Amino acid sequence: MSTAPGLQPAPVPERPMPTPTRESQPYWDGLRDGKLMLQHCASCGKVRHYPRPVCPDCFSMESEFKAAPLTGKLHTWTVCHHPFNFFFKAQAPYIVALVDMEAGVRINAPLRGVDASQLKIGQPVTLQFEPVSKDVTLPYFAIA
Amino acid sequence: MAHALREKAAVSGIGETAYTRGTTKSGLALQLEASLKAIEDAGLKPADIDGVVPYFPGGGIAEDFIANLGLPDLTLSLFVPMGGATCVAAMQSAAMAVATGVCKNVLISVGRTGYSGARVSTRLQQFPQFALAAEFEAPIGLFAPAQLYAQGARRHMELYGTTARHFAEIAVTTRQHAILNGNVVMNKPLTVEEHHASRMISDPFRLFDCSLESDGGAAIIISAADRAKDLKKPLVTIMGVAEGHPESPASIAQRPDLLDFGLSKAAKRGYAMAGVGPKDIDVAEIYDCFTFTVLRQLEILGFCRTGEGGPFVMDGRIGLGGDLPINTHGGLLSQGHVVGLNHVIELTRQLRREAGKAQVKDAEVGLVTGYGDMGDGSLAILRRAA
Repeated sequence: MSTAPGLQPAPVPERPMPTPTRESQPYWDGLRDGKLMLQHCASCGKVRHYPRPVCPDCFSMESEFKAAPLTGKLHTWTVCHHPFNFFFKAQAPYIVALVDMEAGVRINAPLRGVDASQLKIGQPVTLQFEPVSKDVTLPYFAIA
Repeated sequence: MAHALREKAAVSGIGETAYTRGTTKSGLALQLEASLKAIEDAGLKPADIDGVVPYFPGGGIAEDFIANLGLPDLTLSLFVPMGGATCVAAMQSAAMAVATGVCKNVLISVGRTGYSGARVSTRLQQFPQFALAAEFEAPIGLFAPAQLYAQGARRHMELYGTTARHFAEIAVTTRQHAILNGNVVMNKPLTVEEHHASRMISDPFRLFDCSLESDGGAAIIISAADRAKDLKKPLVTIMGVAEGHPESPASIAQRPDLLDFGLSKAAKRGYAMAGVGPKDIDVAEIYDCFTFTVLRQLEILGFCRTGEGGPFVMDGRIGLGGDLPINTHGGLLSQGHVVGLNHVIELTRQLRREAGKAQVKDAEVGLVTGYGDMGDGSLAILRRAA
């Protein structure tokens, strides 16, 4: 910080970005390409999320990422009013929905275009894609 | 056959700093101040401490304790990184250490600058246990426990009809208890209406459903029970103690049952070790990072069935004079946030009959829980053995 405080406008807060790991990179690459790529065990076929090195069912370390359907059902939600992060201050209040995806894992993402008072467990939603930078696309949901 | 650890260890000393919002002291200084008080309370000298479990991550490591307390021969140093479940889980490790003779007196301490230092959403992103949340959930807008746990609370409300009125009852009762304790951050009465009017943090959690960001330190000493009986204070033994880790421990989102906490595993083991059940508990100090967290733990602990936590907390049942007085010190909601070590201290006071205006008459057996890090759980069942 070389400039004295007060001489420049406050910097625009930056969106917190994911730091992909060797395990999770294909998931993030998939979102960028407009796909929900989920990790499956190459040996027993079981899906797992979030990505990790070993299948907890058969302990195989071989896995493959496959495109999954974008449909799911609302498991639960919260409406974030207090911004715990400066970037999200402008967006509050916002709904974050936890969704049981058809593929058998859950995705947590903002749910847009609906009032929280309308929500019910089991409601069908679909995953959408929002590019936020050249490399990163984030998921969000809309009512199906 | 009784469990090998049952009543082999005791809480021999307790110490707390003032609980405040604002301090110039460091987290380490707060831990050490509380530690010296706990050592004094036990009638020990610093040189008697041969095991330390500083809070992780919290500004203190074993080296600091050796350097500051002049510990001549530390035989054990541990971190127990379980968030809010840390302190009670650390009691299990400490009990094992003193029961086997590895240590004589283990110091467990916490020092937090939760108000004057970094706030929760900043702190947690640096925890290794929160790496998944940082990668997958921070970018979509979830940062803090208030947000991550709110989804479970909402699901409980939708499935079982639990309401904000139930949450308010826990907040209001806890505040009533805090007012009886001289060392608290929140010392003014709270009404149900004030709870309902408080600002929404992350629906369904309002401000008064959330624990405090406060400054303070706390410490306890675990000693072998056969040694502790000769120390200064009435003997309080550890009948049962356990920790439990839920499925999908670092991601609530992927947990098959969002409402399943590590406590369900720990409670089974803790009750079995203690040889008692929920009906034997005279007073309970339940980890209260959020009002809902208390309600759900009461269900998991078997005080009521799943889905009945809401009605259970009503009608004075959890207040002083009720069937199950809880958080008789004001808890994390109203006394201060020292990761629940204040809960262990309060339970020890209750069983020593040192709890002043909040004393539960004839308290013999009590229970304390820890909850944290996305759902890790721990519990200890203590008994007045004096």
